[in-house]
This record gives sequence, C-alpha cells and structure tokens, in this order.
Amino acid sequence: MKLSRALAISRKEVRHILRDPFTLLLALVLPVLTTIIFGYAIEFNMRNIPTAVHDGDRTLSSRTLLESFGSSRYYLLEPATGTPEAVQALSADRARAAIIIEPGFEARLRSGRGAKAQLIIDGSDNSAAGAILGYLAGVQSIAAARLLDPAPPPSAIALEPRFLFNPELNSRWFIVPGLTVVVIAILSILLTSLTVAREWENGSMELLLSTPVEPVEIIVGKLLPYTVMGLAGMFLIYLGARVVFSVPFAGSHLAYLLASALFLAACLGQGLLISVLLRKQQLSMQFAMLSGLLPSILLSGFIFPIEHMPLFFRILTSILPPRWFILASRQIHLQGAGIADIAQPLLMLSLIAAALVGLASRKFKRDLEP
Amino acid sequence: MSEILAVEARHLTVRFGDFAAVKDVSFTVRPGEIFGFLGANGAGKTTTIRVLCGLLAPTEGVVRVGGIGFENGAEPIKRKVGYMSQKFTLYDDLTVEENFDFTSSLRKLDPAIAARRRQELLDFISFSRPLDTFVRDLPGGLRQQVSLAAALLHDPEIVFLDEPTAGVSPAARALFWALIRKLAASGKTIFVTTHYMDEAEYCGRIALMRSGELIALDSPEGLKRSTFPAPLYELSPRSEGARIRIPELKRDPAIASLEAYGIRFHVAPRSEPEWERALPELRGDFEIRRIQPSLEDVFIRLVEGGNR
Repeated sequence: MKLSRALAISRKEVRHILRDPFTLLLALVLPVLTTIIFGYAIEFNMRNIPTAVHDGDRTLSSRTLLESFGSSRYYLLEPATGTPEAVQALSADRARAAIIIEPGFEARLRSGRGAKAQLIIDGSDNSAAGAILGYLAGVQSIAAARLLDPAPPPSAIALEPRFLFNPELNSRWFIVPGLTVVVIAILSILLTSLTVAREWENGSMELLLSTPVEPVEIIVGKLLPYTVMGLAGMFLIYLGARVVFSVPFAGSHLAYLLASALFLAACLGQGLLISVLLRKQQLSMQFAMLSGLLPSILLSGFIFPIEHMPLFFRILTSILPPRWFILASRQIHLQGAGIADIAQPLLMLSLIAAALVGLASRKFKRDLEP
Repeated sequence: MSEILAVEARHLTVRFGDFAAVKDVSFTVRPGEIFGFLGANGAGKTTTIRVLCGLLAPTEGVVRVGGIGFENGAEPIKRKVGYMSQKFTLYDDLTVEENFDFTSSLRKLDPAIAARRRQELLDFISFSRPLDTFVRDLPGGLRQQVSLAAALLHDPEIVFLDEPTAGVSPAARALFWALIRKLAASGKTIFVTTHYMDEAEYCGRIALMRSGELIALDSPEGLKRSTFPAPLYELSPRSEGARIRIPELKRDPAIASLEAYGIRFHVAPRSEPEWERALPELRGDFEIRRIQPSLEDVFIRLVEGGNR
C-alpha cells in the first residue's frame, strides 16, 4: 500500500464531491435540516391539551376542580353545554380529552361519600393518551388539597418519582443525541455506496485497475474524504444540539469522538459493502436508504425502547451499529459517561465496523485481483 | 529469434465458471506493429485484452507482454502497457490537467518527468485548449485524443486501444488514426480493436475472433486472398422481380456465398467454369461487375458466415 496513490484517489474524490451539487447539498443541508425538523416538530411533551368541559354542578367545588386542571398548563379547557356536546368535541377532534362533572358533586363531597368526576380521553393516539393520563395524578392531588379542608392524610406508602439526568423529561434532550445516528447513517452509507458503484458503472474501475493501484489503496482513498465529511456532519449536529436546543453534554468529549468515529467506520463499511456487492448506483442508493434508515429509526432505540421488543428483535438490534451508538450517545450526553462507562457499546461498534470493512475489502479484493 | 516479441499468447484460455470466453488462442505481435483485433461483440476480444493488460489472469496458457508474464503478479505487466477502454475514457467532472495529474499520481511518476511527458503528448495530439477545460466540454473526437495521451503518460511499450473511435465523427477518426500510425512509427506496438473495416485496412496484421476462438490471422491483403481465392462479383438487381430470386440463388450450386450489401449483393462463385455457365442467364436480371473483395466481405464471410 502506497499512501501517495491512496491520496491521489482521495484528491480526485474530493473534486467529485465539490463539483456535485447533490452530494454537497446532502452533506451540508441534511444534518442541519433534520436537526431542526426533529428538534422542533417531534414533541413528546404535551402542553395545552384541548379539553372539553361540562360542569353540571356549577358550585365552588366543581369550579375549583376545573381550575386545578386549567392552571396546570397541560390542559386547555373549553366549556361545553352538555355531556353530548363534550363527547362530540372528542369525536370531531376538537378536543383530546373531556371532563364531565355531574350535578351533586359538591353535595357528595361535603357528605364525605366521595365525589366523582369523569375524564374521557381520546384513545386513538396512544402516546398522547399516555401523556394525558400521566399528568392526571399531579392534578388530582392538587385538587384534593384545595377542596378538602383537613387535607387528606398522605397514603401510607407514598411513591415519589424523581427523574434523574433529564428532570423535566424534556424530549428534545432525548431526541437530539439520537439524531446523529439517523443523519450519519443516511449520509455516510448513501455516499460511500454511490462512490464505488459509480466507478463500476461508468467503467472507470477498469481504467483504475489498468494502473498499478492496489484494492486497499482504492478503499482507503475513497473512504478518507467521506470520513472527514461524516465527522463534519456530526460536528454540525453537535453544535445544533448544544446551541439551538441547549442539550446538556455531561460526559467526555473524547468518548463521544471515539464512539462517533467507530460508528462512522461501521456505516462506511456498510456503504462500501453495498456498492461492492451491487455495483449499480441506482440499486445501491435504494438499498443504502433502506438499510440506513430503517434500523437507525426503528431498531436503534431512537424512538422505540429496545427492552420492550420481542427477543428476536433484541438479538437483531445487537448486531446493528445504530443501537450501540445511540446507547453511548445518550449515556455521554445525559448521564455524563466517560470511555470506561461505554466500554460495551465501544467494543460492539469496533467489532461490527471491523467485520463490515473487512468483508467489503475481501470481496472487493477478490473481484479485482487477476 | 533474438528479438523480444511485444505480445505473445500461447494456448490462452479464459473461463468464467463453465463459460469459456477465450478458447486456446495463440498469436504473437512484433514491436512497432499495428495489430488489429476484429470480431463480433462477445467474441472474446475485450477478455483477451484484459488478460494482456494484467486485469485478468489466464485460466490456462501462457501470456508474455513485453517479455514479461504473470509470474510476479500483474503489476510488472501493468507498467509495460497503456490501456484505453471502450467504455470509459476520462472523468467528465475533472479538467484535462486534473485527469492527467490523477493518472500520473496513480502511476507514481516523478512530477517533473510527468509534466514534461504531458507537454510532449499534448503537442503530439496538437491540443490547443486551456488545460483547465473540463473534459465534459471537449468534443468527442478531442476527448478520445486526450484519453490516448493519458494512456501514454507513463511511456508504455505497448498500447491497447479497445474501440477507441466508437461514436466519433469520420474526420476525427482519420485524425486519430494518423496519431496511431505516428505512434507505431516511433516504435510503439499498437493493439487495437475496431468495428470499422476501413480502419482495419490500416493494420499491419489482423486477428479475427469468433466465439472465443481465433479463426484467422494475416495481413489485410492476405486475408482477402485466402478468403476469396476466386474473383468476387457485385450483383445489382434490375427490378423487384430480380430481388425475389435471391433466396433461390443462394441455393445455386454455382454460387459459394451470397451476401447482401445495401441494395446490392456480393457473390463468390464456386468455380470459374460453373460461373461462366450461369452468367448469361443472370445478366437478364442483374447488372454484374467484378470487384475487389473488401475486409468487410472477409469479415462477413468468416465471422458472421460461421454463425449460420
């Protein structure tokens, strides 16, 4: 292997990149755009949930109860004239929840028979329903404290939840560290898969091979510019996360760089393998999109927790690089992990990257050597 | 036999799985020769060239290029040869200069030597445009010339040109062949494939391939003589009615072969006396004139005739 020949290939590759608007656009705009989309548009925290309210009691107590809901910021109350109208607001999608207070609420409260109000939640959106329900307990205890004169005795066993690392359960803090995985997976797998396939498709691979250049020099020369580009993309997202969304970064930057580089190597290896096997740009592009996007969004723990997956998928995810990088990324960002804490993800990423790059190089070498 | 042969192939066979692309082919090429390599698509021309350029190892047989074989791997061969492939010439989105730089870096040429060679070659092809012209902005003929120059950058002894003039205008083709003859005169060995028979006439010797086998190897004149020992005649039908007789004539015992050339037909008689007997009757329907066989006649007779 001669470095000068690998660098000659890198130089040519950089020229291709600089002169291809599509590649440049993909490399620079994709990270920025996805950070903004994911950061702003995807919101698991719910505020001002439109709630239809029918107060059939119209007493001080019923108003206090409703006020407890209203002042929580989670519910936005909209009065309805009767139970049917409140339910209709739900089915017409004007409200996500409805609160119905029957006449006699205050009377039952005073007599100590236990007052009841009904909360109807739109169950068609699972995650929204879960969030609405989650806020309920807090509202209930506030209302109880206000309504009952001797405040109710605390339960014998009190569970007091406190969230570590992300006390407000800010979903952006959770999402943005995972975002890198999606962007880098698409970017690096796609671009590398195109670069080798292009040389096969337009016949220039044959010309390359008529010179004394070796397969390893082609691979190193091709991967170098995309490594730099991938790291630059990661840096862009990191900046966006820190500056725009104020995502905390509690852990070690060195550990993060290491995990990023290993994840990038795995993605480049994956892209290389695709293009070495398929040799057609169109096909490589489709396969790269599919194999880059699906695992990183669905099977990485980015959105759906891996612990809740069936056994088969839990095992499957452990051979997919995105799962390990997301794990490492969140531990570093939020839990303040250092290199020693993320030893397992680092090890797994190294193994997967080595396997992918090794496999691609071997297949490539076998195809090329006379 | 003190002279080192430029190219030597002995019993060369290349197999891909069960399919033999090249079967037991033997030939030699002398230094300074323009060696034409003809055959239909899929006849094994490109596969043979790939072996001779060190891109593919022979399955069986021995190959020596500039006196060097595969015993130390393909690299020593690659140093001896320049290759211009039919599919790809230069990177479109790079400039002429960048393409040259890329090739000389891959060949690890000394920068000073590479710069001098580049200037010599650009003078050789009379390139007058700025070096920072993008290759995609060059006309097709000029692009082929620049591509040839790039293949010559490391001063190879043998140059392999795989259909170098495909899709180029006639004027540009003539210019390109003037360059090829100049190269051969300067001592380089040229190994060229083409589908243009007028180009094949320029070659010193021609090898004809059909389904992986070498079926003829001679000078253009020799090929014409051996393929058509008897004279060749051109038949021009006088009417549509005459045209209808063609299938019947093909079965005529006096006629060895009959091939269509546009609206006319080329006929090789089986023997002179038989032809003399058939002639008076034929003159009624056809205008008949004696012609010199062209390489096209040879090609069609040998390459395409064999597939019938």
